[in-house]
Amino acid sequence: MSELSARERVERVFRREPVDTMPFFSGMGMVLRPAIKELGYKFPQIHRDPVKLARAAILSSKMFGFDSVVVPFDMTCESQAIGNTISLYEDSEDTLYPTIPEKMWKSMDDVTIPSDIADRWPISLIYEAIQIVKKEAPEYPVGAWQLGPFTQAGQVLELDILLKGIFKQKAKVEATMDKLSDMCIAIGQKLQAAGADYITLREMGTGTDLISPRTWKDVIQPRMRRIFAAWKSPKILHICGATNLIIEMMNDCGADAISVDIKNSLAESRQKLGQNALIFGNFDVFALPCKEETTVEQAVEAIKTNIDGGVDAVWPGCDLWPDIKEANMKAIVETARTYGKKPSPAVGRL
Amino acid sequence: MATKEELLEKLKNGVVEYEEDPVREAAQQALDEGYDPLEMIMDGLAAGMEVVGDLYDRNEYFVPEILMCADAMYVGLNILRPHVPKMQEGGLNAQVVIGSVQGDVHDIGKNLVKMMFDVAGWEVYDLGRDVPLEKFVEEQMRTDSEVVAMSAMMTTTMLGMKKVIQMIKEKNPNVAIMLGGAPVTQDVAKLFGADGYAESAGNAVSEGIKMISRLRQMQK
Repeated sequence: MSELSARERVERVFRREPVDTMPFFSGMGMVLRPAIKELGYKFPQIHRDPVKLARAAILSSKMFGFDSVVVPFDMTCESQAIGNTISLYEDSEDTLYPTIPEKMWKSMDDVTIPSDIADRWPISLIYEAIQIVKKEAPEYPVGAWQLGPFTQAGQVLELDILLKGIFKQKAKVEATMDKLSDMCIAIGQKLQAAGADYITLREMGTGTDLISPRTWKDVIQPRMRRIFAAWKSPKILHICGATNLIIEMMNDCGADAISVDIKNSLAESRQKLGQNALIFGNFDVFALPCKEETTVEQAVEAIKTNIDGGVDAVWPGCDLWPDIKEANMKAIVETARTYGKKPSPAVGRL
Repeated sequence: MATKEELLEKLKNGVVEYEEDPVREAAQQALDEGYDPLEMIMDGLAAGMEVVGDLYDRNEYFVPEILMCADAMYVGLNILRPHVPKMQEGGLNAQVVIGSVQGDVHDIGKNLVKMMFDVAGWEVYDLGRDVPLEKFVEEQMRTDSEVVAMSAMMTTTMLGMKKVIQMIKEKNPNVAIMLGGAPVTQDVAKLFGADGYAESAGNAVSEGIKMISRLRQMQK
């Protein structure tokens, strides 16, 4: 059995063709402190410099043997491009992702997406970063992502306006969601044109610990379908939190694969979606690679449980938290390789 | 003239059905007719929020519904609370510092927990969101609050809580710390050295009261 390259492994998984072993990759951020340190960067500097963004992502994957490189890492590019000021926490030594302290739009009536949004800085630097990764690490598939319209709404408006609006101002919520969906489509298409090999739609804030399955069907699903119809494959839908009640609807949006986090019962999802659905997930990104008390042996066992649960790729349930314990992270990837030699439900083995 | 039971029922149902007008009317009527405002808060508004908590646990209500129930609850609370004599407020006279930790701009959960403290008559010092870690320590010392409640919605910001706990406990080991937020589990709270963990806004106040009782017992 010949060993596949990272690119071949990931591409074959999306086509449901046999692979040599379980891939370890993600559709969300995978930048890690050891790589940032080796490059001599500071965490706050890597988000708005395409070279640093690309190189931090590449080295993270190389150091730990991931099967893809993912950019960007932070969720504020679109909001900043619209005109909001962001906090980079440049004086902090801690790992703090950029945030938007104050949003300039105060109501849904204010939402006006600039027509050139997809070309504006800092979104444009992600395209540059993708091209740098393609040039400097062509052996890796490049993953990019977009926040879904509901989650993005929380980056440009106070989220409670939208949540309450679902009942009180449904037409305005729908119009806001449509505007943000158009933006998401346009940027996603540019990410793909820049060379992204796969794209993840992260509609994170729509699990059923936040909104009802009925709201998901009425308000979220139509937008998911429209966005996925406008993007090329491979494309993945990711939702955090409780997803078992909506997993069938998630699988009926036009994505090639579904991504879930640790709150999802994999066995139940697999039973509902059948053997042919591609399910990626769902290991705990704090407990396994980061938590001080978690031993390597415990991390290995948890990944075995993850694989036995029926995933088709070992894939973090969220962004990998940068401050990992190196031994645990390496053991997690190694376990995906060694324990993942048997076929997964949707993908056979060579 | 309405009976006390009728007004309590109207307040409770108004909260559960997220109807602000009936809550406003019932709260004002209760004051006009001389009923005990604290009883109206606890057995009307808070009882309604308890039902809302049950509906959430049963997957009948979700966060949008809870936010609207909270709005209705505050309509009543803002009318009734100013008329509750200070000494009577639950007999606790307790204070809490609350906020979302630095790097986290999510505050929906934090605001729901704050609401439960408001209902119970605590003095709440709300630091808002994206709060620098040292600020929790400074505010606790300034106000001499018995409880510090911190929220984080992201794994990436959760670790800041551990630092705050260490800083506060160094200065004042008797302060009770409560944690909450999506990535926070009972296990994490214990590891970080917290005294309480609020799985949901609904049990935050009862956790807080339990912690205060524990502290008072320790001081005896």
